[in-house]
Amino acid sequence: MSATTTATSPAGQHNLSFGGVVRSEWIKLRTLRSTVWCYLIIIVVTIGLALLLAASSRSSAGPRGGAAAALPGQAAWLQVTTPGIGLAQLVVAVLGALVITGEYGTGMIRSTFAAVPTRLPAVVAKALVLGVSTFVVSLVALIAAALVTAPFMPDKGVTPDFGDWHIWWALVGGAGYLAFIALLSFSIGALIRNSAGGIAASLGFILVVPTIVSIFASVTQADWVRNLGSFLPSDAGGRMYAYVTDAAVKSTDLIVLTPWQGALVLAAWIVLLFAIAAVLVKRRDA
Amino acid sequence: MIEATGLTKRYGGKTAVDNIDFTVKPGMVTGFLGPNGAGKSTTMRLIVGLDRPTSGRVTVNGSRYSELKAPLHEVGVLLDAKAVHTGRTAFNHLLALAATHRIPRSRVHEVIGLTGLESVAGQRVGGFSLGMGQRLGIAAALLGDPSTLILDEPVNGLDPEGVIWVRELARHLASEGRTIFLSSHLMSEMAQTADHIIVLGRGRIIANAPVADIVALATGKAVHVRTPDAAKLTKLLGAKKATVTTGQPDVLEVTGMTAPEIGELAAKEGVVLHELTPAAGSLEDAYLALTQDEVEYHTREVTR
Repeated sequence: MSATTTATSPAGQHNLSFGGVVRSEWIKLRTLRSTVWCYLIIIVVTIGLALLLAASSRSSAGPRGGAAAALPGQAAWLQVTTPGIGLAQLVVAVLGALVITGEYGTGMIRSTFAAVPTRLPAVVAKALVLGVSTFVVSLVALIAAALVTAPFMPDKGVTPDFGDWHIWWALVGGAGYLAFIALLSFSIGALIRNSAGGIAASLGFILVVPTIVSIFASVTQADWVRNLGSFLPSDAGGRMYAYVTDAAVKSTDLIVLTPWQGALVLAAWIVLLFAIAAVLVKRRDA
Repeated sequence: MIEATGLTKRYGGKTAVDNIDFTVKPGMVTGFLGPNGAGKSTTMRLIVGLDRPTSGRVTVNGSRYSELKAPLHEVGVLLDAKAVHTGRTAFNHLLALAATHRIPRSRVHEVIGLTGLESVAGQRVGGFSLGMGQRLGIAAALLGDPSTLILDEPVNGLDPEGVIWVRELARHLASEGRTIFLSSHLMSEMAQTADHIIVLGRGRIIANAPVADIVALATGKAVHVRTPDAAKLTKLLGAKKATVTTGQPDVLEVTGMTAPEIGELAAKEGVVLHELTPAAGSLEDAYLALTQDEVEYHTREVTR
């Protein structure tokens, strides 16, 4: 055994490898119907809501249409392209939690950890496969949404410009946001190990906590509370798909994160929760 | 080869496995026997690193399970039939496990054929019966063609044909020099499959010996005597300090004397014997004798 330098044993057998574990997790992800359904819903919701908003705001009478028309050019196009993200984030949060809690709930986790006894490679591979898949599906859905809304824009006095890299960055940011939310929810799921609990905690963290903070902010009128809200996952992550130009920097006392800062803040949340989850996954009995 | 030394597992205040030492050797089937709740499953989970021992150590082929380079090739494990995601098909379940060790798709088909799952391989596991789940678990254990097999209650839920298949499979794999460790709470099953038996009761090893020795523990202790003159014989035996119990008027169960001694005594005193049989100790009797104080959940005798 010591003489062999390859990962192949004499009988043509292979050692456990991270590449193999990633492949295994990819097979697991794509062979569950919940995954397929979640991704289909993301695509339908993203394109559908964009189309609906683009078509309905044609007559700039509605409040939404009015708002869109009030925004400068490309930002208005982006605004009608990305409304689906708000709904899609709920779907990816559910998917992210299920990817890990589903294994705990069914007992599959014991098979997984028997095959990968060091455990962390399996959890990291799961997160990797989930993040990349969610990013790709979301990006495809968002680009499609941009394409289907583009024909409606000239009616609103906006000429869609596919050469505007701000638009592309915002779409990539939106897909990245959804992938990050999936990973955030995944980390929470790995901590809680129960599907209902994991989904509830994730949605609570993404939706309820910001609401509470904003209520608190409006009651106290304190800037620090508002600034605190900017660092919550959903608010910080939401900046990832904002249409930002160098000119659009506001001058107030409130903190407004740039897309990159928002991404980093959300990433920091994920790293924190994932690290806690990783320690517990390693230590707990499966 | 599985070696445990000082292996202990506590869950809160409850000790599931209490400082046990044992070795499971290759080339034979080792049975792991004990009443429900004795700690068999916990021990098996400790071997494959799903639970962490509170103290002590257990190794497979000299290494801790988590340190194995290719766990699936060294150890195949069936812990319970339901360690499978119910939403995935049997084939995809095996394919995903195989991928971790780059085990080829052809091997997945092979173990499906071996366990007789061809007709249901494309169905989602959620609809499986206990027996089919058990076969899938065994298929997963065999996937890496491992040198050690750990099977927790493998015949649970199997039909008679399946039980015989598991028995023959275990014997066959052992004959190839593999280490086979299988648990059961059914003594009769072990008697037909195992070469060596480790009996566990309340987390402690209460016997660790070849099957024949375990049976011998209960052999030759009682002699079954049938006589029309039971009263006289009882008196005579009592004088010799033998213990006599009776069920029917003409039947005596004698302990403390061997069958030849009883026969000679009866001949000398002119007592007619219709039957004189040393009770052949069954593994079942031995098991009950060994574990009667170790059973966690006693049933009360049914009274009317």
